[in-house]
Amino acid sequence: MAGNVRTVVAFEVARTLSKPRFWVVTLLIPVLIAAIIGLETWSNSSTQSSAAEQANAKIAFEYSDASGVVVPGIATAAGGTVQADAAKGLADVQSGAVDAFIQYPADPTKQPVTIAAKDLGLFANQRYDAVANAVLTASAAQAIGDPSLAALAAGGATTQTTAYDGDRVAPGLAGLIPPALYLLLFYLVLVLLYQQMLAATLEEKENRVTEMILTTITARSLVAGKIVSIFIVGIVQMLVFATPIALGYAFLRDQLSLPSLDLSALVFDPWRMTVGALVLVGGFALFTGSLVAVGALMPSVKDAGPVSAVFMVAMFVPLYTITMILSNPSAPIVRVFTFFPWTAPVTVLARNALSSLDATTAIIVIVELFVVAAIVLWLAVRFFQYGAVEYGRKLDPRVALRSMRAQRTGGAAR
Amino acid sequence: MSSAAVVEVEHFRMAFGATTVIDDLSFDIRRGETFGFLGSNGSGKTTTIRALLGIYEPTAGRLLIDGRPFRPEASTRLGYLPEERGLYRKESVLDTMVYFGRLKGMNAAAARAWCLAYLERVGIPGLAKTRLDKLSGGQQQKVQLGVTVMNEPELLILDEPTKGFDPVNRRLLMDIIEEQRRAGATVMMVTHQMEEVERLCDRVLLLKDGKARAYGTVAEVQEAFGGTTIRLRHEGVLPDLATIAGLAGTRLVADRDGEAELAPPAGADASSILAALVGAGARIASFTPVRRSLDSIFIEVYGEQAGEQ
Repeated sequence: MAGNVRTVVAFEVARTLSKPRFWVVTLLIPVLIAAIIGLETWSNSSTQSSAAEQANAKIAFEYSDASGVVVPGIATAAGGTVQADAAKGLADVQSGAVDAFIQYPADPTKQPVTIAAKDLGLFANQRYDAVANAVLTASAAQAIGDPSLAALAAGGATTQTTAYDGDRVAPGLAGLIPPALYLLLFYLVLVLLYQQMLAATLEEKENRVTEMILTTITARSLVAGKIVSIFIVGIVQMLVFATPIALGYAFLRDQLSLPSLDLSALVFDPWRMTVGALVLVGGFALFTGSLVAVGALMPSVKDAGPVSAVFMVAMFVPLYTITMILSNPSAPIVRVFTFFPWTAPVTVLARNALSSLDATTAIIVIVELFVVAAIVLWLAVRFFQYGAVEYGRKLDPRVALRSMRAQRTGGAAR
Repeated sequence: MSSAAVVEVEHFRMAFGATTVIDDLSFDIRRGETFGFLGSNGSGKTTTIRALLGIYEPTAGRLLIDGRPFRPEASTRLGYLPEERGLYRKESVLDTMVYFGRLKGMNAAAARAWCLAYLERVGIPGLAKTRLDKLSGGQQQKVQLGVTVMNEPELLILDEPTKGFDPVNRRLLMDIIEEQRRAGATVMMVTHQMEEVERLCDRVLLLKDGKARAYGTVAEVQEAFGGTTIRLRHEGVLPDLATIAGLAGTRLVADRDGEAELAPPAGADASSILAALVGAGARIASFTPVRRSLDSIFIEVYGEQAGEQ
């Protein structure tokens, strides 16, 4: 039996990796990411230059100051002239005599500074806000007198916090990243391999090879071989996916303006890493079994798509509660998502990364995932065997289960 | 021919919900023999084969191959050509055949060598690396046949093997079956090609209403259904046999386009039947007593259903 499993694995892996389309699709992702990063970097630098230009651009404006904060010299240097008559100021803007009319209220901390200005476009209009704020903050700084005090008042101070867990320094972000990688891996693996998991048993039925193949290998060995091959293909895909990213980070970090990451500062907590690994494996087994079972019940990929989408939704729904996981992990919705098998992997991996997962919950969920995965995989194999020759027909799982029970007790089948 | 049974079916019953497809079927297939498993469409032949091969779980009874319920890992080398047959369309001919060869216990090199030799034999050596969906229907049939007979099967189960086969491939199939028989393989064949059954099969079973309607050697079945039949050509319309004195018990089995077949009772004298027909005004062009054909037996057993075959 083990020999036949190896034969299935070798065949499935070879035929997947030998297809040019596999490499094109897999390499497309890092290429697309690189292109997007490059475009974003170029756009950011372009935007920053533009923002700097706007901040320094002089405009011809009139202003009124009910607060008494604005220093006339600073306003004049920025291109402003006093205009006490609000109606006249607005009329001058509308006639094009000036670019803007700025009204500073009595209390700028509580009331907005209103600006009437010539329209320069959605983005370019922001220069008026920049100028109005620059005049006000420069005037306030002059009133304070001391540049250091003025800077503190404007932007606050830089802080550096060291948190302690007992007598140990808490890892913080450096401790979050390693277990968070499991969550990223989980999504990557499932998104990349979703179609293959679904097609694992469907393909045999669509190609009408089920009868021939089930007389040479058991359904269990065939499904096991296919799942192992999906896993191997997934690892290859991740390596192909990650290698250009790692090379790009190592050699082109500066050109791409990527943040420098001190990998030696990362903290690998053994317990959290172990929990993450077990949840990842259990979650992968559960979703794989679920998708294989759907494939065994459906006659074609087209029919299986809508049903399998339910599992994909279960993968993403917990993300909507991420803020609650952070702030209130014992909230009912978080607890439901923690223990419901198909939302558990994402929820628990997130809680594990955010250090909001206690040991008891972790153990319960891990055991639950493996037990449910085993049941689902058993069902998947049985559905596949039961429906092996049901070409072109959807199988009702309830009918299939009833028939399996009947066959075991010697009653009427199907 | 060894008499030890390779296939044993005992009191096999198969029900799907409230519908009983097979009801108390028993037969065996002896080692080295060619066994014809016959029946009209929907009579349960494919169901029986699937139950024998473990694809269906029987409702009751035992179906054994070499004394044990079939398991894919079993030592018996099996070649199975199902009625619903397909291949991995997006894979090459050679990769698919080698895959099945390895699943059947051959090592990769031996499987590859065998496949290349087979493709050469069946006239498609240049298609080894071609994707299966690029092949014509006839070429795909040859590949399916090759997969079936790989690794010298001891038991060949062929469900409607010539279905969809053109005459060239049908000839190829029959030649291969003949080779396997000569090599000592046991063959179980589901077919509607009665002339092939008469030519190849040692024993046959006719399945009707879930039960064996006839079971034994071809000669025994022919004897059970009248033994001798009379084939005649006539002009005009044959008189009603029931009204002719001297033809008591003689049945008209078929009469089409001037060619008729009569089933006389056991022991009837053919010349007396001819005399009675001529005396009743029948214009007989030719009159030939022959052993009853399986074709006519099939038509008699399955009646109108068989007319749709």
